[in-house]
Amino acid sequence: MGPASSPAQATEIALVQFDRALFSEEVVLKGCYWLARDFICEIATADSASIQVTIKPRQSSSVEALPFAKETLIQSVSDFALREKIDAKTSGIRDLLLAKAFSEAGVLEDAPTGTFGDKIEQENPQGMFKILGSC
Amino acid sequence: MRLTTTGSPSHPFGSVVGILATEDSGRKERAREIRLVAPGEALTASNLAGYRGLLFCNDGPESRSTPLIQRLRESDHLKDGDIVVMEGATGLVRSLYRPRERHHHLFVTERCNSNCLMCSQPPKDRDDIEALTVRNHAIIDLIDQPPSYLTITGGEPTLLGDHLFGLVSHLKAKMPDTEVHILTNGRTFAWPVFTRRFAELDHPNISLGVPLYADIPGVHDYVVQAVGAFDQTIAGLHQAARNGIRVEIRVVLHKQTLPRLLKLAEFIYRNLTFAEHVALMGLEYTGYTPLNIEELWIDPFDYRDQLEAAVEFLAIRNMNVSIYNHQLCVLKPSMWSFAKRSISDWKNAYLPACEGCSALEECGGFFQWAVRKHSAHIHPIEADRVREILNVSA
Amino acid sequence: MARTFFPTEKYGTKPATFSLLPFRFMRLNSKELLVNEAGEFLFAPSGTVQDLAEGSVPINSELYLDLKAKHFLYDEASSPLFDLLATKIRTKFDHINGGTKLHIFVVTLRCEHSCDYCQVSRQLTTRGEFDMTPATADRAIEMMMDSPSPAVTLEFQGGEPLLAFDMIQYIVPRAKRLAKERGKLLDVVLCTNLACITDEILSYLRDERIKVSTSLDGPAFLHNRNRPRRGGDSYEKAIEGIQRCREVLGHEGVAALMTTTAASLEHVTEIIDEYVRQDFHSIFLRPISPYGFAIRTRHRTGYEMDKFVEFYKKGLDHILEINRGGYRLAEVYSQILLTKILTPHSTYYVDMQSPAGGAWNVLVYNYDGDVYASDESRMLAEMKDWTFRLGNVHRDSRASVFTGEPALKMFEASCNQALAGCSDCAFQSYCGADPVYHYATQGDMYGHRPTSGFCTRNMSVLKHLFSRIEENDRDVMRIFWSWITGSAPRTEAALCD
Repeated sequence: MGPASSPAQATEIALVQFDRALFSEEVVLKGCYWLARDFICEIATADSASIQVTIKPRQSSSVEALPFAKETLIQSVSDFALREKIDAKTSGIRDLLLAKAFSEAGVLEDAPTGTFGDKIEQENPQGMFKILGSC
Repeated sequence: MRLTTTGSPSHPFGSVVGILATEDSGRKERAREIRLVAPGEALTASNLAGYRGLLFCNDGPESRSTPLIQRLRESDHLKDGDIVVMEGATGLVRSLYRPRERHHHLFVTERCNSNCLMCSQPPKDRDDIEALTVRNHAIIDLIDQPPSYLTITGGEPTLLGDHLFGLVSHLKAKMPDTEVHILTNGRTFAWPVFTRRFAELDHPNISLGVPLYADIPGVHDYVVQAVGAFDQTIAGLHQAARNGIRVEIRVVLHKQTLPRLLKLAEFIYRNLTFAEHVALMGLEYTGYTPLNIEELWIDPFDYRDQLEAAVEFLAIRNMNVSIYNHQLCVLKPSMWSFAKRSISDWKNAYLPACEGCSALEECGGFFQWAVRKHSAHIHPIEADRVREILNVSA
Repeated sequence: MARTFFPTEKYGTKPATFSLLPFRFMRLNSKELLVNEAGEFLFAPSGTVQDLAEGSVPINSELYLDLKAKHFLYDEASSPLFDLLATKIRTKFDHINGGTKLHIFVVTLRCEHSCDYCQVSRQLTTRGEFDMTPATADRAIEMMMDSPSPAVTLEFQGGEPLLAFDMIQYIVPRAKRLAKERGKLLDVVLCTNLACITDEILSYLRDERIKVSTSLDGPAFLHNRNRPRRGGDSYEKAIEGIQRCREVLGHEGVAALMTTTAASLEHVTEIIDEYVRQDFHSIFLRPISPYGFAIRTRHRTGYEMDKFVEFYKKGLDHILEINRGGYRLAEVYSQILLTKILTPHSTYYVDMQSPAGGAWNVLVYNYDGDVYASDESRMLAEMKDWTFRLGNVHRDSRASVFTGEPALKMFEASCNQALAGCSDCAFQSYCGADPVYHYATQGDMYGHRPTSGFCTRNMSVLKHLFSRIEENDRDVMRIFWSWITGSAPRTEAALCD
């Protein structure tokens, strides 16, 4: 299930391939963003099925850090893919919550739900909660 | 302490509420009073005229107009100034309000929309609201010295609807400085209209005591035996806070509430930060509790660590937290300063195991009924130890 | 007759599926840290987020209940309590309520110190072109009082504002009069190096209830090195000034701030010990503002910030040790962040907010009437960069300051919810946006997080604090909470176990 990686062609760079079926371009870009302090990431479409990232150190001294950078990228891209999934499931609710949070108090409030009365209250056609519910 | 007695009504009458008097306090007062006539007291008809009601320890005179109950089984507990009700139908005489006590209640209904496993006052499906409302207004009218504190309790007081607003308004007009505490499950306050109207009564010294048993709906709803109650209570607490109504959270500690107690404390802090007091209360072995004891009982000694963790969690966050109905000898010493003597005067008692204990004065003791079910670890505490603990927590 | 009791199954209905509520996450110490929109967090075992995304968290697990209680998910067994969550989010954003609270008046640029880290001061001793005029002050006071905030703070800065004490005496009564007319509460703070304090000034501060904020960079050798003045006696002047302030204004009448220079980096314990020696109960471990020097060393600030982070961590350990020993000493930055993390409340610290505090929560009125978004913005202006000059009190109103091009440009980069690298960061709710900092250090208001000193510092400090929280050491948590609440910590001794 994880991204396929191929051995580096030269010791100065590392290559990682991401399966398009699992990872969007967006999440690969986000992963690369966080490597940008010490590495340059070149992103290319290897073929229609995958995205290829070439990681180059900014300074030659960081060559030893390449395996770590690669590992970090793979983890980070997987995490961004998770975030993308969660966001897809929750962005509608986020909008609703923010609308409720910043609207005037009460305007977007949900009406109370469920049964409120005891037996006597429930059997009374003029019960308080029936009146409250029709306000 | 005794609160009721019975005798024989002289003739059919309804409920009469009045102030108990054992001697003549003047004709003007008689219209508010119920005269208790001791054995051997020889009184003329004019001595007995104008009272709201008459109680005789022995046989009383024939009466067709003034409500009268004779041959009372007990009368020692009846004191001058007590507000009592005489029931014409049953001959029952019940003390409703005793000025000398610290704890005062208005009992407003036996009806309840919850059915808590450990309810100390099991609800009844009988409509008593109109009758009790009349009685409670009568009590409020008769209180001469407003008490410092007054608790409105049931059943579920909000089921009174407009009648509750009426009582609160009456209290506000008659004794605005009395701190009124309403024990409610808070569910009705989920209705914004209800809560707004309550807030608009603008009673200057009123708060709600609302029980919360878990940070998740399943457990709370099981404890209160009402589906959806958790959501309604949480919504109610928020409506209350939004309308500036002060609230206290009450947690009864037992087998259902203890496993997530610390998480409940966290939930209270994060979601109900506005609570002005959190009361963590011991189980009362009365009402429903004996019926459900298997589902409820944990020896307080065995949950002392959980209790300490929850109390400390709230205390370091500057939340006002107290422990009720616990004996000091089953609490960790660090918890003593949080333990409150909350047991009503007429309810508390001590065990033989308490003999020789030097902390009796600081300790709340037991509810009378707890004598039947209590921690297996009750033990006397030596004077030196008591001093040491009190010094450090001071 | 007793009613019927029903078994737990009737109430703890096991839902078939659950739905997610919005949250962000990061990996920390082999766990996953989940944070929801209201800033509530949960440390969960590694793999939890994957399970959440796939809907496979076991519904009868404690973890499921924890996630539900903390609003990471909901199910059909109960209401989602959206209104409760929305209220919590609203509470967390309270800092955007009400309008600008802090108003900084730069009454003069003149100063008798010549600190390396100051971009603005002028070595002049006579009143002149670098002083605020009464006409400018009048307009600035008006603009301050036009803020809808019911409580405003007027802070005098410089230069050394005491070199323009007459201007302070001009402004205070006028501000007070206008505050009274508008029904606002007014606090006045004076930021001074105390070198020129006199008995007359002290009496005035006492009578007008003005609080003093001064600089103390550490023990004499360090303070005097950081803060040169003729005579080399900045430290001695500051200490003497602090004593005199306390005598006249009371112990709480004077607070001190420190700045961490390169020379400070090796001396964090000495700096902290100096604060204890001077009987202060809070210390703010503050990195140097990068304005000026950072522009010349652009991409390297991140690395320099690493050094500050080490300084901070070492300092925090030392401060905790001091607290364990019974002396109450709060580290202010940690206190602010812990309040964001551990409480449901909002904080009002203008340098760490989203939307950024510039203009919304702080306005700076320069001696010449120019209005800036923050103290740092006017330092940029001193280097001939007027990007954050929002207007001028003589030409603009509060409304035109807020709707002018400089403000609108800045506001676009002021929400970390919409910044690359921040939009899905788990720390978003606790962190801020700082367009001025990023513009100054990276030439771009939006900034580049991987090389940003702001991000390096806050990411590290927040991770560090979260690690301490996760350790859940009883003493450390008690100390943290004593900082948040301002109460004495409930020490082990006081709890007599």
